Amino acid sequence: MMKRWTLIVAVIVAVALAFVPLVGSDTMIQFGINALLLATLAQSWNILGGFGGYVSFGNSVFYGLGTYGTAIAMTNYNLPFGVGLVVGVILAMIGAALVGLPILRLRGPYFAIATLGLNGAMMAIFSNLPIAGSNIGLVLPLTRNDTMFYELALGLLAACTLTVLWISRSRYGMGLIAIREDEDAAGTMGVNATLYKVSALILASIFTAVAGGIHAYWSTFVDPASAFDSTLNVRMVIMCVFGGPGTVFGPVIGSFVLSTVYEVLAAQISTAAALLFGFVIVLAVVFMPRGLADVVKGGKGLSWRYFIRNIRENRL
Amino acid sequence: MTAAAATTPAPRTVIEARALTKRFQGLVSVDAVSFAIAENETLGVIGPNGAGKTTLVNMISGTLTPTEGEVIFEGRNINDVPAFRRAHLGIARTFQVMKPFHGMTVLENVAVGALFGRDGGEKSMAKARETAREWLEFTGLGRKIDLGADSLGGPDRKRLEFAKALAMKPRLLLLDEVMAGLNPVEVDEVVELIKTIRGQGMAMLVIEHVVKAIRSLSDRVMVLHHGQKIADDDPATVLEDPRVIEAYLGKRRT
Repeated sequence: MMKRWTLIVAVIVAVALAFVPLVGSDTMIQFGINALLLATLAQSWNILGGFGGYVSFGNSVFYGLGTYGTAIAMTNYNLPFGVGLVVGVILAMIGAALVGLPILRLRGPYFAIATLGLNGAMMAIFSNLPIAGSNIGLVLPLTRNDTMFYELALGLLAACTLTVLWISRSRYGMGLIAIREDEDAAGTMGVNATLYKVSALILASIFTAVAGGIHAYWSTFVDPASAFDSTLNVRMVIMCVFGGPGTVFGPVIGSFVLSTVYEVLAAQISTAAALLFGFVIVLAVVFMPRGLADVVKGGKGLSWRYFIRNIRENRL
Repeated sequence: MTAAAATTPAPRTVIEARALTKRFQGLVSVDAVSFAIAENETLGVIGPNGAGKTTLVNMISGTLTPTEGEVIFEGRNINDVPAFRRAHLGIARTFQVMKPFHGMTVLENVAVGALFGRDGGEKSMAKARETAREWLEFTGLGRKIDLGADSLGGPDRKRLEFAKALAMKPRLLLLDEVMAGLNPVEVDEVVELIKTIRGQGMAMLVIEHVVKAIRSLSDRVMVLHHGQKIADDDPATVLEDPRVIEAYLGKRRT
C-alpha cells in the first residue's frame, strides 16, 4: 500500500508545476513541455512494460500515429486541435489492437524483437501516403502559446499517472503483475492474459498518442523520421527502468531526473553530452537495477551496502 | 447438505477423463487413461516418477491439450477451453514446482486466486484480500501475509500454493505433490487441512508419494505406470495389489 504522504507530496508537486509558466523563462517552459511529454511516454510505457513485464519497442509507433492523426486532421480537414487529438488516439488504439493481438502471443525477447520492426514499417507506409505529405511531412498551423502546451502536457501526465495509480491498486493491475511474474501460473489462476496484455497496450497507446499530438501541434511540423523514431522508444524504456518499472511515480521521477541531467550536460559540454548520458545510464543500471523508486523505498536505512548488494544479486 | 443429499441419491460427477492420451513426439506420456471423480470424492493418484501423473493434471487444468480423448467437466467437453476459462469454471491446481508470484506479497499471491478464480472471481480488492487472509489463516501462513512471496521457505511455499488454489473457490481441486519435501509432522498437518475442506462439495485429485497420506485421504486410489492405469479401487485393495507393489518396488524374486 502506498503511504499517504507520497500522494500528498505528489499533489503538491503537481500543483507547483502548474505555476511554472507564470514565473519561468521561455526556455524553462520549453524544457518543461519536453520533459512532461517524455515523462508521459515513460509512464504509459510503464503500463505494459512495468506492470505486465512485456518490453515493447513499438510504443513509439503510437506516438507517430498520434502526431500524424492530429496533423492530418488539422491540415487536410481544418479540424480543431481537440478533434485532431481524438483522431490520433483512435488511430493509435486501432494500431495497438492490430499489432497487439498477433505479437503479444510472443513471450519475452521474442516480443521485444517483433516490436522492433514496427517503426520502420510505419515509416515506410507514411512516407508513401499523399494524405500525410509523403516523405516531406506536414506543417501544422502555428500557435505561439507555450503556456497552453505546458499545461496540456502537465494535465496529460497527471491523467496518465492517475491511471497508473488506479492500475496499481486494482484487480486489473494484479492481473498484469501476475502475468509479469509467471504467465502460465496466472492463466491457471483465471487471468485472461491475452485480454490483459492487449488492453494494456491499447491503454498505453492512448496517452502516447495524445503526447504525440501535443508535440506535433507545438512543433508545428511532422515528418516520418521524427514521428516513428525508435530512439524515442529507447528513451521511454530507459526513463521508466531508471525510475522504477511497475511503480506509480518511478517513471515520472526517472524521466524528470534524466531530462534534467541531459539538459545540464548538453549545456555544459555539448559534444560529449551523449557519451556522459550513456555513462550515467550504465552506472544507474549496475547500481540500482530496480530503479530510483526502489532506492527511495529504502529510506533512512539506505547505505552503500544497498548498491553493493544490487551488484551481487544481479551479477550474471 | 443433508437435505440436498436426500434429494440427489447419486453424487454428481464433477470431472471425467475419457481415454486421455498425451504423446510427446512418439513418447506416450499418458496412455488412454479414464477415470471420474464425483462431488465430495477424493481420488488419490500414485505411480513411479515419469508415470504421467503431472501430465494428466496438466491436461485437466488446460496447460496441455490432450492428443486424444476427452476431458469432461460437469457434463461438458472442455478440450478446447483455455486454462483461464477452466479456472473460471472451477478448476484449480497447485504446481509441483512451486510458482509463487515473486514480486507480490504472500497476501497478494492468494488474492490473485480470489480475484480471478471461479466465475471470474471477486471484483472487489478489499473482499479479495479478506478471502485471501482467511485462507492464509487456514493454511497456517496467517502471520506471514505481508512478507514477500520469495522470502518463504519450501514448506511455506507449499502452503502458499494450497492457499492460492483454495482462494479460487474450486469445484475441482488438483493437488500435485503438495506434501513433497515436508517432514512427517508437516505432512500430518497438511493431511488434516485437506480433511477439513473435504466434503464441502469439492472433488479432489491428489497426487502424492507419501503412502500414509494417500491412504488416509483418498476414497479411491488410481495407479499410473508407464502412462497406463493399472489399478483404480479403494485404498486398501490398491495398496495391497501385487502389480502396484511391483510397479513401485520391482518384481519379487522367486
